[in-house]
Amino acid sequence: MTKKIDHIPPIISSADETLVLASLEHDQLVGAKKHLIPRRHLKGPELVVLWSLRLYLLFMMAVVLYQVWTVAR
Amino acid sequence: MKPLAAQNEDEVVVITHEDVDRAHDRSRVSAARARRGFSSNARLLWLLVGPGVLVMLGENDGPSMLSYAATGAKFGIGFFLPFVALTFCMAIVVQEMTVRLGAATHRGHAELIFDRFGPFWGWFSMIDLGIGNFLTLITEFIAIRAGLGFFGVRPWIAILIALVILYAALMSHRYWTWERITLAAAAFNLVFVPVALMTHPSWPAVGHAFITWQPLPGFSKDTLLIVLADIGATVTPWMLFFQQSATVDKGMTTKDIRFGRIDTVIGAALATAAAIATILATAPLFAHQMTSDNFEAAQFAQALQPLIGRFGASLFALGMVEAGIVAAITISTSSAYAFGEVTHKPHSLNLPMGEGKSFYAVLTLCALAAAAIVLIPGLPLVYVVLLVNVVAVLAMPPALVFLFMLVNDKEIMGDLVSPLWANILSSGVVFVLTAAGILFGISIIAPNIFAALGGK
Repeated sequence: MTKKIDHIPPIISSADETLVLASLEHDQLVGAKKHLIPRRHLKGPELVVLWSLRLYLLFMMAVVLYQVWTVAR
Repeated sequence: MKPLAAQNEDEVVVITHEDVDRAHDRSRVSAARARRGFSSNARLLWLLVGPGVLVMLGENDGPSMLSYAATGAKFGIGFFLPFVALTFCMAIVVQEMTVRLGAATHRGHAELIFDRFGPFWGWFSMIDLGIGNFLTLITEFIAIRAGLGFFGVRPWIAILIALVILYAALMSHRYWTWERITLAAAAFNLVFVPVALMTHPSWPAVGHAFITWQPLPGFSKDTLLIVLADIGATVTPWMLFFQQSATVDKGMTTKDIRFGRIDTVIGAALATAAAIATILATAPLFAHQMTSDNFEAAQFAQALQPLIGRFGASLFALGMVEAGIVAAITISTSSAYAFGEVTHKPHSLNLPMGEGKSFYAVLTLCALAAAAIVLIPGLPLVYVVLLVNVVAVLAMPPALVFLFMLVNDKEIMGDLVSPLWANILSSGVVFVLTAAGILFGISIIAPNIFAALGGK
């Protein structure tokens, strides 16, 4: 039975590996980005601002749809 | 892929093809930085310029150029010349923050919002971005179709040409090559400058407008719509996501922030020149009392033809095509970056097709879907064009608050948090955008109150 290989990893030469180590910062490496940045705890005033703007946007989108509806009529 | 000795004992980091491509680009930057003198600085600027110019000229897109053309035709030379320059100053304040964020964190904007604020707020911002990007993408293809329509090109052929150019830019699978091809195409945005010169604008009137901001337009619903459209032509959510992701994909670090700022300012200066040139180019339509309501790109070119000749009108139409193509490339790329960042799938223009299937698939599907919609017969395309910039302005305050919070987050930014003056300026931008949105809302749902405030 043969196993299907979807993707063959590219071969990285030693010269390229040296170049990567010399030229990129550690957290620039694709592999290093797999770590999530820790979640930030949002404080009360921040939540108020975020919710206010969210409601503002929803309301304004309703206004835009109303305008489209009136123009279409 | 090859395991790499990790900084952490228990961590194994692999090197990918994307890392190697980025390292090649970065080694050239390091070599240029190691030398001294003017030529080395010029070389460094050449290597690091890109995201800022692309985002600014990319935002001089189909609906934006149409807004500027409508501004010139409706109001002539006056208040809107310095106003448009001011909106680009606002864009510099906002976009500079994305350069710092990208260089300091090496993460894209969507990724940072998801990681720091969680998926609840992350999805809200992604929905805003997705809807805005898709609507805008549709308008880019409208501009391309209308611009090429001036030369008698059939709509489906015009759309096909645009898709081929978009695909060709992607085929290199190298960020650097993609960036240079797109920059070359974006430079064509300046075609509006010779068109403006052909109309022989009154330079004393231009100077007077910049110094006095006059003549002022009347306070009316039409004026407000143009004000909103012109703001939406310079600051929009996709620009935040694109420039930060492109800064990361280019591999810029904190050492490059100064050049990132220069890149942004150069981009804003070029885009301002093209925007003001477009207003100047269509100002003769105002002088000749020509009504331009519901004009599309090609109709502006046709209206200008008696004044600037067939060659000038052709340049104007080609400018609209270019604006649409460059924006279609950058906006679809912005959507693909955001999708990859949120789903943690590979997302880079350095990826070979095999490794970046989802990235290239999202990019291509967005463009194909928008292109297909434009080809639907009888669709009210003019409504979409008019609404896109307004929607962009309305969606900007929530996007800016996320940016504001991220760029002031000491845990991820360290010493690169925004200084007080930058916070005051960015708060001012949020205030102006929110106020403009509220005024727009009042003008629609309570026109009587708006009239009492002094409007018509």
